[in-house]
This record gives sequence, structure tokens and C-alpha cells, in this order.
Amino acid sequence: MAGALSNVVRVPMGDSTDVALAAAGDRQAFERLYRTHANRVYSICARMTGSRVKGEELTQDVFVRTWEKLPQFRGESAFSTWLHRLAVNVVLNARKIEGKQASRTDEGEVDDERWDETARAPLHIERMDLAEAIAKLPAGARRVFVLHDVEGYKHEEIAEMMGITSGGSKAQLHRARLLLREALER
Amino acid sequence: MTSSNMTCDAFDSALPDYLEGTLEESARAAVEGHLSECVRCASLLRDIDNIRKDAATLPDLTPSRDLWEGIEARIAAPVIPLAAAPKRERRTSPAWMGIAAAALVISTAGVTYMLTANSLRSSQPSAVAVTTPADVPDESNAANGSGSAPDSLAPSSSVASVPETGGGPARVATSPTPRLASAQPASRQGVAAQFVTADQAHADAVYGREIEMLQKIVSQRKTVLDSTTVAIIERNLKIIDAAIEQSRAALAADPASRLLSDQLTHALDKKVELLRTAAMMPASI
Repeated sequence: MAGALSNVVRVPMGDSTDVALAAAGDRQAFERLYRTHANRVYSICARMTGSRVKGEELTQDVFVRTWEKLPQFRGESAFSTWLHRLAVNVVLNARKIEGKQASRTDEGEVDDERWDETARAPLHIERMDLAEAIAKLPAGARRVFVLHDVEGYKHEEIAEMMGITSGGSKAQLHRARLLLREALER
Repeated sequence: MTSSNMTCDAFDSALPDYLEGTLEESARAAVEGHLSECVRCASLLRDIDNIRKDAATLPDLTPSRDLWEGIEARIAAPVIPLAAAPKRERRTSPAWMGIAAAALVISTAGVTYMLTANSLRSSQPSAVAVTTPADVPDESNAANGSGSAPDSLAPSSSVASVPETGGGPARVATSPTPRLASAQPASRQGVAAQFVTADQAHADAVYGREIEMLQKIVSQRKTVLDSTTVAIIERNLKIIDAAIEQSRAALAADPASRLLSDQLTHALDKKVELLRTAAMMPASI
């Protein structure tokens, strides 16, 4: 009996209640959703942009956008899946806005800040190296690498989101992996 | 070159598809044959496999600060419901903001002109019909059963329309026994003016708080917004501020005018709407 009860207690609460409450305008429920998903969303934003500062700004944009769009969420996918896709779109749209401001090539995109993760995860020395190397990748290759190898999107999905071909996504991914290998060998 | 007849260059070319698992069987066999004999290419594949595995298990990052405060400020529930507010997902383009602001100034000037002209005409006896409470039953009082004038404001029927929040006794004149507006005692017009002025003062205070809050957010976000957009927003805010000033000046000259009061409210609405749009805009990276 006790075991059965403890099993019940251990069942993790899903987001569905808070999603419904937040969609109806409950800001406390929305804050709970933020607390649950903030790090994940921040990771996507920071890694795709290669900048912690930009990652934080975009994370705020993502949650503001989520608040706006939440009434349209129909639950056809998991909330986290929907949220992460929204985060990717916010990052990519921000890049488009930036692209309109200054004409520049993909390679010319400047990352004004790199992060040092050594202070954040001292137990993952080899992974810190990888994270740093990812941040130093050219923007296009970095975005594809993060979306494919870190976030697990398929080339077809990446191509659709980024407005490139599936072949272009594959080429960027391979280039990113080779550049990472080179950087990690140093 | 190895005994599998595949060169390292050919392996490099085939590697992306090999990793994707999209190579045909024969090509795949050739790649694996080459891998079994070439240390350089086997090392390359092993390194890339490790990178893929490590990337897939990277730990989540943590922001350097709590971002909720900034998010909460931006999603704060609107204090004032905007009748003409756009749907939540709709974005107002800077060009449309400019057109709307210009239209606002034109309409403000037009209404001011019309009211000024009407005011001049009504300084002489005119056919503006007003009525007394005795002529038309007060709907608010009828509804609550009192039926009689609740206070000294009751006879002040010269105001063109009723303040929505005032629960007011004044109403639009439709009496079969009209009197001339110019025949209204000055003191009654003064009471009506106080009525509208008090209502406007309350609205001003509410708008003031909302605008102050939004301006604070927009000011903090200026550095992360597209500079062109910021310039357009600032230009449009100046136009709207000019419209607000015009409405305030006209209202000061004719404090009893509900139309001018509505005009001012409309201009304040536009300012809140523009500031809110700016506050919710995504950052430009």
C-alpha cells in the first residue's frame, strides 16, 4: 500500500495544468512553466547564438512570445516540444532582423561574446571544451550543429526552419563536425 | 588507397551520408572496408562519433541572472482594455504606426476645428436641444428603482453624452420640449464640466501609470531593439504626444466636451498601444 502511494506521489506533474492556466492568463502558472523550462530554452538560445548575453535576451523574448501564443497551443505535441520549436524560431527570426540591419555574409556574422563555461560546470571538463568550440563555430554551421547534434532535429526540419535545403543542412553539419574536431585536437 | 579500392578523399566525400545511414549497401560496404584498413579515416570517424555523443548529452546551461522579472514586466496584464487593440499575435509595422499616428493628428485637428466652430455658433441662440430630468426618465435611476434625481448633478443635462463611469444623470437631449443650450445657467454648465473633468482626471491618472510603466520597459529595451525601429517609434511617439497636447489644450478651453475627452482618451490609447508594441518586440541580435 505504502509502495503504491509512493508510486503515485512520484508521478511527475506534467505541464498540462499550468499550460491551461497560463493560457487563461494565470501569470503564476506561467512563472512555474518558466522555472521548469528556462534553462532548456536558455541553452538553445545561447548555443545557437554563441553568446550568453544574447541568449538571455532571446530567452526573455521566447517566454514573452510564448505568453502571447499560448492560447493557440492545442496540445498536438508536448508543450516542451512546442516551446523549443518556438525558441528556435525566435532565434532564427532575430537573426533575420539583424541581417536586414547590416548586410553581411553568414561567415561574417560576428559573435561579440563567447562564454566561459568553466565556472558553471567544473565537473565536465571535456564537455566544456566542446561547448566552447561550438560557440566559436561560424554562425551557420553552429546553428545547424546545435539543432541537429544537440537538439536532435532532422535535416528536413532544420531546412524548413532555416530556409535552406536539406543538402545545405547536411553540408553545414559535416563542416561543423570537422571544424569541431580540429578545434578539439589543439 | 587501401585494398578496398576506396581513397581517403572518396571516404571523406561519403562520410556524411555514411553517418546519416543513407548510403547504398555497396557504397556502405566500401566505406567499412576502407575503415578497417585506414587508421586516419578510422580515427576521423571515431572522433566525429565522440563529438556527436558528447553534443547529445551536453548539460543545460543556466542564465547568469533570473530572467523572470524582465519577462513579467513585459507580459504584465494591460491596465486599460483597448477597444481597438490589435489581436495579440498581430504585429504592427512601423509604417502603419506612422500612418495611424498621422491619422490621429488629422482627426484630432478636425474634431477640434468642428468643436471650435460649433462653440462659436452656439454663442448665439441655436437649435441645440437639451432637456431636463423631468422630461426624460433617468435610466440609471429607473434601473435601481430610485426614480428621482440622486444629487445636485441631476439637472445638468447640457453635456452631450454621459461619462461611462460616472453613473451620471446627464443624457443626450431628445426632449419634445427643448430649450436652447445657450439658455443653460452658467453654473449648470460648470457642474457638467466638473463631472467630465473629474472623469478625465481619473482616466489620466490610470493612463499615466500605464504609460510610465511601459516607457520604463521600452527605455530599458532600447539597446536591444532594432535602431531603425526605435527611431520610428520615437518619431511616432512625438506625433502622438503632439495630438495629446492638442486635445488637452482644446479640453482645457471646453472642459465639458465629451467629444474632446474621448479624443484625448483615443490619443492616450494610441500611445499605450505603441509603447506596448515596443515593449513586447523581440530583441534584435
